[in-house]
Amino acid sequence: MDVTRRSFLWAGWAALVAFAVGNLAAAARFMFPNVIYEPSQKFNAGPAAEFPEGVSTQLTTAWRIWVVRKEGFLYALLARCTHLGCTPNWFSDQNRFRCPCHGSNFTPGGDVIAGPAPKPLWRCRVEVASTGDLMIDRAILENRPGLRERPPFVVSV
Amino acid sequence: MNFPNLKAALINSQIWRSIFRSGIWKDTPRDRAGHVIGNLWLHLHPVRIRPRALQWTYTWGLGGISFLLFLILTVTGVFLMFYYRPTMELAYRDMKDLEFAITLGKLLRNSHRWAAQAMLVAVILHMIRVYLTGAYKKPREFNWCIGVLLLTLTLFLSFTGYLLPWDQLDIWAVTVGTNLAAATPFLGYEGPFSSLLGVHVANDVRFVLLGGTVVGENTLLRFYVLHCVFVPLVAGALIMLHFWRIRKDSFSAAPLALPGPRSSAEGAAAPLSSASDEEKVEVWPHLVLREYVAAGFTVLFILLWSILQNAPLEELANPTVTPNPSKAPWYFVGLQELLRYFDPWIAGVMIPNLIIVGLMAIPYVNPNPKGVGYYAWRESPFAIATFLFGILLWFVLIFIGYFCRGPNFAWYWPWESWLVHKAPPPPTWDLPLWAGALLLLFYFGFGILGPRFLQREISFKPAVIFYWIFAAAAGAAIYLFGFTAGQVAALFFFLFVYYLFGFLMPQRYLRDLSWPRYLTAMVFLLMMVGVVLKIGAMVGFNLHYILALPQYNFNI
Repeated sequence: MDVTRRSFLWAGWAALVAFAVGNLAAAARFMFPNVIYEPSQKFNAGPAAEFPEGVSTQLTTAWRIWVVRKEGFLYALLARCTHLGCTPNWFSDQNRFRCPCHGSNFTPGGDVIAGPAPKPLWRCRVEVASTGDLMIDRAILENRPGLRERPPFVVSV
Repeated sequence: MNFPNLKAALINSQIWRSIFRSGIWKDTPRDRAGHVIGNLWLHLHPVRIRPRALQWTYTWGLGGISFLLFLILTVTGVFLMFYYRPTMELAYRDMKDLEFAITLGKLLRNSHRWAAQAMLVAVILHMIRVYLTGAYKKPREFNWCIGVLLLTLTLFLSFTGYLLPWDQLDIWAVTVGTNLAAATPFLGYEGPFSSLLGVHVANDVRFVLLGGTVVGENTLLRFYVLHCVFVPLVAGALIMLHFWRIRKDSFSAAPLALPGPRSSAEGAAAPLSSASDEEKVEVWPHLVLREYVAAGFTVLFILLWSILQNAPLEELANPTVTPNPSKAPWYFVGLQELLRYFDPWIAGVMIPNLIIVGLMAIPYVNPNPKGVGYYAWRESPFAIATFLFGILLWFVLIFIGYFCRGPNFAWYWPWESWLVHKAPPPPTWDLPLWAGALLLLFYFGFGILGPRFLQREISFKPAVIFYWIFAAAAGAAIYLFGFTAGQVAALFFFLFVYYLFGFLMPQRYLRDLSWPRYLTAMVFLLMMVGVVLKIGAMVGFNLHYILALPQYNFNI
């Protein structure tokens, strides 16, 4: 094969561009940390039997969780608005959660009834340990009707 | 002791002459030119300029004031960095120290905060001024684009800066802001179609912004570096480019001559009169003096404001409890209000990006060469009306978000107490998929083709009067079907906005553009009007989505 001066220079330019693109890709990859030091998402919420009927907000400030108890079942809602991640407030008189950032409203089951939120609140994986304590895992989530009403996203008490 | 001799000896000494290139000042034109050319700080200016460009009412000095505020922010920011440590444990304490324990720390922080807000105002007003005087037109299109990018960077500097005090405002603004990034189509884990690419919470754009999955230590450090180093460097580079192009494209776009007097009936078409062509004057002292006066007043203004008013600092950031209501700073509260009406990927990602791209597209879409260098209302009525409508829309949203939103983001009139109980918002509903798809197709299909193919000129006044007669008749009919008066009024208003900006005006002013220009203009115009219409549909009729595909997070 003939290597002309021109084709040699083209190859040089191509190599330079490839190097620059590679550098950009490397810089982008560098910005994604491999190890993050964030607290565990799984925690012990105390004796499962002691949660009152209805929506309980006692875990909201510590864990951003509402525990809802209904007719012998418990589920744990993640207190994070599915719109843009603010913490809604529970209004027992209106029987709904209302978000302070953009005004989304949710039922105790997590469904959107007003405002801009696009999907229902997330329910967390729950289980009752052998000690009777409620274990909540905020990393395993479900919000699809049908699936969210089944274990491990509800637990009977 | 002979002072003039001493002065001459000093100026003629080797040391002085090695530092300053000119000799004794004789105030000749040569001296004045030399002062601009031979000075690093001033040599960005031309030597001579048309007197018209010097009038206060032409530029208002806004570009220079923006740059001065950037300099003030750099200096105050560097000083603040001496006392600020970007960690979750220390950041808020350092803010308190700056406020209460460090001499002049409070003044410095106030200056930094207020100069930042003043810079945003100055940059926005500068953009409006440039637009109104047609200074974005050929050959300055590219510099207009640089300016739009600088506006974006100014906003981004504010956004990265307000996480740093680590108070409640910051953490929730950044939580919301970065969740918007998570709604980016394809690249954010909650955005449309991202699941198709295998994007999840630990590899999307939000993750790289936060340096993790929640706003935490990494986020604070990242925003600190972005705010103090990265974005100012990029902005500085663009500012240099901006200035260089101003110089190369001739300063301030002041024309050689203004159009002749408007005594004739067709005032806009009057020929340029060469008689009004002016002799240029020297930049030193005429322009530079004005610049220094503007700078002096700006510094004084920021100083007084910082003495009289303290920068806000809320409670320590709490990642589980959101203040109620939680509001963004004023310049983002319009965006927050917009988020009330759209899915995050539209209001938070598409609309801001389309505004940026749309602004940059304006000089390439508008082929009208007239109206450069003076306030040209008559030469480009459509361009100016549409632009001002967009600006007005943005500030109406800011007004609503800032003054009319109370606890739970419910509507409170500015004079109402937040203790008043408000009924929860009514339930919302979606259009069926087929109806939404048809509606969007019709809106964009007819919206794009309609004005183009109706070739006859529609006379303006009869058209508007006809609309109101037609609307009144339709409204009466709808009212009988049980719509409330408010809903009928909303229908009138929002359809009128569409009729005026989406049909009547483009039909009149845009239909003769070349196809690429016409298409670009119409798509952006229809999207802007569409935003207004969707707000109307949600406010008046509680319509949640026109088109909803929740399985792909794709909702309009």
